[in-house]
Amino acid sequence: MTTNRTGFPVRHYSSYRRQMKWLLVSPLLVFFLIFFVIPVGLLFASSFNPQIIGQVGFTSELTLDNYTRFFSRSNYMAAAGRSVLLAGVVSLITLIIAYPMAFVIAKTEHPGRNTFLLIIVLAAMQLDMVIRLYGMMVILGDNGLINQALRLVGLIQAETSVRLMYNFGGVVAGLVQFALPFMILTLVGVIRGIDPSLEEAARSLGAKRWRAFVRVILPASMPGILAGSLLVFALSISSYIVPALMGGFRVGVLPIHIFQQVAESARFQFGASIAFILFLLSAGAVLVYLHVGSRRSGGLA
Amino acid sequence: MSFVEFHRVSKTFGKTVAVEELNFAVEQGEFFSLLGPSGCGKTTTLRMLAGFLTPTTGRIKVHGRDITDLPPEARGIGIVFQNYAIFPHMNVYDNIAFGLIERGEKKAEIRRKVGEALEQVGLAGYESRFERELSGGQKQRVALARVLVVEPEILLLDEPLSALDKKMREEMKYWIKDIQKSVGISTIYVTHDQSEALTMSDRIAVMNAGRMLQIGTPVEIYENPVSRFIAEFIGDSNLLAGRILSMDGTACQIDLGGNAVVPSRIPSNAKVAVGDSIGLLLRPEVLRLTPSDEGETPYLSGEVIDEIYQGSLRRYRVRAGIHEVTAEIPNRPELARLEPGDKVDLYWNSESGAVVP
Ligand SMILES: Nc1ncnc2c1ncn2[C@@H]1O[C@H](COP(=O)(O)OP(=O)(O)O)[C@@H](O)[C@H]1O
Ligand SMILES: [Mg+2]
Repeated sequence: MTTNRTGFPVRHYSSYRRQMKWLLVSPLLVFFLIFFVIPVGLLFASSFNPQIIGQVGFTSELTLDNYTRFFSRSNYMAAAGRSVLLAGVVSLITLIIAYPMAFVIAKTEHPGRNTFLLIIVLAAMQLDMVIRLYGMMVILGDNGLINQALRLVGLIQAETSVRLMYNFGGVVAGLVQFALPFMILTLVGVIRGIDPSLEEAARSLGAKRWRAFVRVILPASMPGILAGSLLVFALSISSYIVPALMGGFRVGVLPIHIFQQVAESARFQFGASIAFILFLLSAGAVLVYLHVGSRRSGGLA
Repeated sequence: MSFVEFHRVSKTFGKTVAVEELNFAVEQGEFFSLLGPSGCGKTTTLRMLAGFLTPTTGRIKVHGRDITDLPPEARGIGIVFQNYAIFPHMNVYDNIAFGLIERGEKKAEIRRKVGEALEQVGLAGYESRFERELSGGQKQRVALARVLVVEPEILLLDEPLSALDKKMREEMKYWIKDIQKSVGISTIYVTHDQSEALTMSDRIAVMNAGRMLQIGTPVEIYENPVSRFIAEFIGDSNLLAGRILSMDGTACQIDLGGNAVVPSRIPSNAKVAVGDSIGLLLRPEVLRLTPSDEGETPYLSGEVIDEIYQGSLRRYRVRAGIHEVTAEIPNRPELARLEPGDKVDLYWNSESGAVVP
């Protein structure tokens, strides 16, 4: 039996505490099990069943055919590459737009102004994604505001238009506006947590304002930059609705392929294997994040 | 012309007046402390000198040059923060090299100087440690090395010991003072701890509620405080209410009420006249206590309320007429031990009392 320094047994107390802790998290565990582990596990398992159109449940017949098919078809491999590229580009652009905004919000001390700025950011999240995307179509579409304006000033001829959506760029634009609030909120939290005396120390050691930013503030924001980018990467690579609406099914990323296999062709097993590969790509991003996070300064994040 | 000069400097935040009409000067090589209770404006004063805050009114000069509007990086003033502000993403070496890199020094030169700085603060071998691998005292040494390595003209320290435990605080107090002396750098030290200020400083400025109340050497501040606030803030004190009966140069007679008339000294900086109500400052350590009825006429007599044993000394609280007095008696066998209720006589050297306006 364990005893503490005064020689009294402590086992009862601590085991009681341990039980309490499990009791507290058990609803979450049950939820997690029913709505995540089981469906995802079944999905993963069924990806190893032979492809039978219309078959949903898991059978005991195992095969790697679905994965062989995926890796032997160049259009699926290209889709995987396109997905990673899309998520990477979106993360980068979102970061570049979000950082200055987050910085301003974090440095705004006036409580009223600060709340106002945060409300603007959050307001973007209040509307459903689909509605926001239709809003973007009004601007970017072939007969959208931008094209109408270009025709009006005569930069392009009547009856023609510049392709601003139904292509890779359109999907990027849609995803960036979708991901922006997530990135901003992540960054605001981290930038606010940076001790202001770090910048002051840098300044009084001879660093000009921008040097202090580059050498101290930016590195100190790195945990937020990594976390925000990871979040946006995961949101973007798994998004179906944005490529569907903004890409008009012409930008073939993995979620589009999954939808086509499952919803249009009832090929659940093959769809499951694509979904699992998508999951691995996301998980790979997490690994890269952890690696970078732990290498920088041996564990800033 | 003094080295650092504040000319009528005030700073307000909205409606809060943080400091008001600061006028003071610090000499080259001096260890100058700003001492006062929390919220009295010490940090604000320091931050204006460092260039992180602009005074609302007034000018600040260094070497006679007006620096009020210069950015922090152009001032050549080093600062050690209360929380040390070690850059968390850099190791000790890179932290100390930071300012040298900003000055565009050569790699070899930086290596040499950082090495020397680490040697100076006793942290050789800690180059590759990160902030979270350092103790409070070590962080402090890094912060000081990082500042001193760029050879600033002025060193600012904002409550650098307040985050340390008591033992470490005692140790670092002397260590900082030693380093300051050996480098010979003009230093402004902010603290709310009067014992730190008394032990370390060449001169002390006592502040309260945004104003500077008195500037002087530790001896002047401790022995000749110009106000009741200072007398009570610095050290332990007995302040007995009384009235000046007569004056003769720096000597005077004071009526303490209840037929007690005692001699005292009037500090040269105290502006008082006959008839004024004043406080008579008697530090606990200047009082002598003897059991009653031993001949000479005592200054005051009273009764012991209680004794607090403190190892090296014993503290007695004594009721003497309308006054309550605390006396510290060295714990020596030849001095009579007193019990609560004992009748005692109080004596002191008339030079060791001081009139406080
Ligand atoms: N940035 C600020 N905004 C508003 N009030 C402040 C600010 N900085 C300091 N003050 C106020 O100014 C006064 C002096 O503060 P400070 O200089 O930090 O005192 P000290 O360092 O002596 O504890 C305090 O009343 C404090 O609340
Ligand atoms: Mg302070």
